Amino acid sequence: MADTAQVATAAGSKDPTVGLAAVRSLRLLVERLEALQVANARDLGWTWEQIAQHLGVSRQAVHKKHASGRRPLRRRD
Amino acid sequence: MFERFTQEARDVVVGAQAEARALRHRRIGTEHLLLAMLAPGTTAARVLTRHGVGHDAVVAAVRVHSGPDELDAGALSSLGIDLDAVRGRVEEAFGPGALDAPQAGRPGGHIPFTPRAKKVLELALREAIALKSRTITDGHIALGLIREGEGLAMKVLHDRGVDVPALRDDLRLALNP
Repeated sequence: MADTAQVATAAGSKDPTVGLAAVRSLRLLVERLEALQVANARDLGWTWEQIAQHLGVSRQAVHKKHASGRRPLRRRD
Repeated sequence: MFERFTQEARDVVVGAQAEARALRHRRIGTEHLLLAMLAPGTTAARVLTRHGVGHDAVVAAVRVHSGPDELDAGALSSLGIDLDAVRGRVEEAFGPGALDAPQAGRPGGHIPFTPRAKKVLELALREAIALKSRTITDGHIALGLIREGEGLAMKVLHDRGVDVPALRDDLRLALNP
């Protein structure tokens, strides 16, 4: 969707407003995708250990980040 | 304390939750209280409108300050990422809305108040006592906001050039005519 010229401009831009906004949105996108994928893996019966390995983080880290909010959701299934 | 809240004041508290949810925020802050107060017809809204504070303008200001807790297609396209394409793929696999904010966007999900917003509600009680009012109205919550003095709501008011002492006087007058 973004045309090449526009991307080139932004990528080469040293304007922090542009660059930081892009980083912020990218981080948010990553967070959303991670939450989705972790939830899906759990639904498929993956262990926290397995998920952590694939994400390249510790089991504790992934559990701490994703375990709490999920229980009420899972109960509704 | 809440049993002393009038219906209008209760509407503000409940409305603040709806405002936070609409903005996909995860906390109810002073700015959401302010937005809820700007619902048409309330005492606080009438006074705030006279001082040039409107709902839409506050929403716009809040978005700037709190930052979008939503995916910014423009910012992502600056990196060559087509958000619509990503969304399309994700929704294909996980269903519509899969990429939307979790929890806060979920209808009925509980959104907690920030400590500052709680403080504002406590100060509303003190304002009511100071004005010798048996009940706490939306106007007292507005006075609580001003007395608390910080928070995003006040920043928005200051940024819009609102004369806060005059606003306070008008609110008191409206409450104790």
